Amino acid sequence: MIKNTHLHKTSRIIVSTLSLGITLLGAGCGKSIPSSEQLSPITPSAPDSNAGSWKMIVLSGPTQVPVAAPVAVTDAGYLSELAAIKTGQASLTDAQKTSITYWSAGGVLRWNEYLRELVARADLPPAPTDGGTYPSPSPTNPFAYPTYPFSNPPYAARAYSYVSVAQFEALKAAWYYKYLYNRPSPSKVDSSIQSLLPATGIPSYPSEDAVEAGVNLALLKLLFPTNVDEITAKAADQQQAAMLAGRASSSDIAAGVALGQAVAAIFTTRAGSDGMKAAAGNAAEWQGLIDSTTARGEIPWLSQETPARPPMLPLFGQVKGWMMSPSDFVTARPGPPPSTSSSQMGTETTEVRNTVNNLTRDQLATVYKWADGVSTVTPPGHWNAIAFPYIEKAQMSEVRTARTFALLNMALHDAAVGCWEAKYHYFNPRPSQLSPDIKVQTGLPNFPSYVSGHSDFSAAAADVLEYLFPDGASYFDSQQQEAAMSRLYAGIHYRSDIEVGMQHGKKIGDFTVNFAKTDGAQ
Amino acid sequence: MKIQHKLRAALISIPRIAIGLAFFATASIPLHAQTSDDGIMLSRQKYCTGVFFGYDSWDHYWEGSLNRTNGNLGTVITRTVSYTGNYALTDKINILGTVPYIWTDATQGVLHGQRGFQDFSLAVKYKALSIPVKQFGAIRLIGVLGGSVPMTNYTPDLQPLSLGNHSKTLNGRLTVNFLGKRGLYLNAGTAYVLRSNVTLDRSSYYTNGQLYLSNQVAMPNQFEYTVAAGYRRNDTTLTGHFSQQQTRGGGDIRRQDSPFISNRVNFSKAGFTLTYPLPRVRDLQYWLIYDNTFDGRNVGQSSTYTTGFLYTFNFEKKARP
Repeated sequence: MIKNTHLHKTSRIIVSTLSLGITLLGAGCGKSIPSSEQLSPITPSAPDSNAGSWKMIVLSGPTQVPVAAPVAVTDAGYLSELAAIKTGQASLTDAQKTSITYWSAGGVLRWNEYLRELVARADLPPAPTDGGTYPSPSPTNPFAYPTYPFSNPPYAARAYSYVSVAQFEALKAAWYYKYLYNRPSPSKVDSSIQSLLPATGIPSYPSEDAVEAGVNLALLKLLFPTNVDEITAKAADQQQAAMLAGRASSSDIAAGVALGQAVAAIFTTRAGSDGMKAAAGNAAEWQGLIDSTTARGEIPWLSQETPARPPMLPLFGQVKGWMMSPSDFVTARPGPPPSTSSSQMGTETTEVRNTVNNLTRDQLATVYKWADGVSTVTPPGHWNAIAFPYIEKAQMSEVRTARTFALLNMALHDAAVGCWEAKYHYFNPRPSQLSPDIKVQTGLPNFPSYVSGHSDFSAAAADVLEYLFPDGASYFDSQQQEAAMSRLYAGIHYRSDIEVGMQHGKKIGDFTVNFAKTDGAQ
Repeated sequence: MKIQHKLRAALISIPRIAIGLAFFATASIPLHAQTSDDGIMLSRQKYCTGVFFGYDSWDHYWEGSLNRTNGNLGTVITRTVSYTGNYALTDKINILGTVPYIWTDATQGVLHGQRGFQDFSLAVKYKALSIPVKQFGAIRLIGVLGGSVPMTNYTPDLQPLSLGNHSKTLNGRLTVNFLGKRGLYLNAGTAYVLRSNVTLDRSSYYTNGQLYLSNQVAMPNQFEYTVAAGYRRNDTTLTGHFSQQQTRGGGDIRRQDSPFISNRVNFSKAGFTLTYPLPRVRDLQYWLIYDNTFDGRNVGQSSTYTTGFLYTFNFEKKARP
C-alpha cells in the first residue's frame, strides 16, 4: 500500500515537524513577566542624622511615642541576640537570601510597590444585584462579596497617603531615638557578624525596617483587611531579613515594631474620624445633589451605567486633608463650569465628539497609558510609579524616601478631596450624557465631570515632584499634560474640566510644596 | 472532473480565526474551519479564493465560570469581512492565507466600537499520507503549520471590543480524515497554538492575582481539538462539527472586571458547514458555516454565522490524468 520511500519521507517530515514544535515550545516557556521591580541594594548618599528634628505633620513631636533606652551592647541579653544572628547567618536558606536581596532595595520602596498591588487588587466596583441595585462593601464584614474595600481613586489616594505619612512620622521619630541612643548595628558591634546589606552607618535602635513593618502591618490591615495573611507574612519577612542581614538585633526590631505600631494607632484613630465613613452618602443625599443642581437651572449629572449606579463617594470632598483645612478647600474651589445650556458647553461638547471620533494611534496610546480604571493602581498609584525610579536613583535614606512618598501622597490626597469637593459642588454631566452620540474609548467614570480627576491629581503630583527632583521637571510636566489630555481623547472630559483641573491641582500641590520648603529636610 | 470537484473546496479556515479573536480574544486558531483543519486538499496549481462575511453576537458571557449579561454592553456584535485564498503548490502542499477586516460594537453602554484590519494568517497544509480503504474511500493524514501576525497597530486593551489580542501566533495541527466514495465525511484534528507576548500601551496591569509592573503580557498557549462528520460529494457538503479550545494558563475575569487579553479562554462549540456549487458555474461555490458556543469560560456565549463565495481558478495548462 505505502511504499517504503514514502514512509521514509513521511517520517522525516514528522520528525522535523516535531523538532520545530519542541523548539517553539521551548521559546514559549521563557515568557515570564516580572511582578516586582528589579532593584539594586540602596546605599544612602546621606544618613539624614537630623531627621529627628524635621517638622512633624500629625504627631506633636518625635517623643510623642516614647522609646525606652536600649541595654548596653555588653549586656548579656544583647549578646545572646548577637549569638542568634550568628546562628541564623550560619545556615541561611535560599529563601532567606532572596528575602534579604528583596528588602535591600529599601523597605519604603518595597512597601510602596506592594501597596500599589493591594490597590489594584481591590479596585473593582461591586456588581449589580438581580434587582438592579448595588451592594456596598462593608469594613465590618470585609470578606463577604462585595469585598472591602472598593479601592477607587479617592479611596486609593487616601490609602497611599495614610501609609506614607504614618511611615514618615514614625521614621522621623525613629531617627530621633537612633541618634539619641546611638546603638551601632550588630555587624559593627561584633565583627564576626556579616553585614549582608549595604552598611549605612545609621544607628540600629530602633530598627527602621521594623518601624516600617509595624506601620504597614497595622495600616494595611486596616485599609485592605482581606489581605491580612499576606500583609502579616510580609511584615515578618522584613523583620527577619533585617536581623539575618546583621543590620538589627531582636531588641532593635522589637523597639521598631512597637514604635511603628504606636504611630499607626494614632493614624488609625484619625482615619476613623476623617469623614471617610460618611463619604458614600445615602439615597437622600444623592437626590439632594440632583435637586440642587436642577434648582440652579443646570442639567444634573446622571449615572450612565445600566442599571444606574450611585455616584462614587459624593461626600469625599468633606474628608480631612493633610495640608489644607476645610476652608482652604472651599477657597481653592474652581469657579463654575460653563452652564450646561451655554454655547460654550455646546462648543466643548462638539470638540469632544470630533476628538474621540478622529483619534490618532498616538492619542489612543495615551488614552490607554493613562486609563488607570478598574483593576489598576489608579492615577495616584500611577504617580507613585512615576516617582519610583527617581527615588531609587537618588539613593536616599529610608526616612527621606518616606518623606518623598509622604509629600507626593499628601498632595494627591488633598487633590482627591478638592477635586471631589468641586465635582459634587457642581454635579456637572459628562459629555456622553449631554450628547449621547459620544462614545468613549475607556471606562466612563461614574461621577461628575468638572473638574477632571486625572488633571487635578497629575498637576498636584507633578508640582511636588518638580520641587523634589528639579532634573525631572520637564518630564513630570509632560506626563501631567499627557495624563490630563488623555481624558479629552477618551471622550470623557471637556477641555475646561482639564484646564481648570490642572490649575486647581497646582494650587493644591503648592500647599505641600510650601510645607516641604520649611520642614527642615531641604 | 469529479476528482477536481472533490479537491476544490480546501479552504476557508481563516475567516474563523478573525471572528474568534474579536470577542474576548477567543480563538486564535482556526476552529474546524475547512482548510486548515479539514482533510481536503486542493489539487495542483489551482487557486481557490473568495470573500467571507462573518456575523458574531453574544449578550451572555462567562465571567470566569459565571454566566451573565452586562447592561453596559448589551449585545456585543462583531462583523468581519475576510479575503481568503488557497493555492495548491502541489497535490500535497497547499498554501492558505486570509486578511480580515473587523467591526466591533456594543448595543448598550457608552463604549466606542472599534474597526480595522486584524491579523493576517498564513498556513502551509501538507498531506502526509493517503491510505485507500478497500473500495470505500481513503484515509488521509494531514499536517498544517500556520501562523498569524497583526496587520495594524490596533489596541488589544479595550476588551471586549478590541479587534483582537495583537499577539503573533504559530500553530501546528494534525488532521485525520476519511472521505468515502459515496460521500461519508469523517474528520478529527488537534492543534496547539503558541502565542507571543503582547505589548500594552500601559506600564502595569493586574491579572491572575498579581500586579505586573511591565507593559509585556505573557500569553498562555492554547490547545484545541475538533471533530466533524457528515456528507461530502461533488463539492456539496453538509457536515456537523464540534470543537473545544483550552487555554493553558491565564486568569479568570474577576467579578465585574473587564476581560483581559491573557485570560484563560476556554469554550465548546458546535455547528454545521454547508457548501454548494452554483448550478452552471460549478467553479463558484457557496458557503455557510454556523457556530454556537454553548459552554465556556471567560468568553462570549456567541452565535456566529459565516457566509461567502469561493471561486477556483485552474492555472494548470493541461488536464492531469
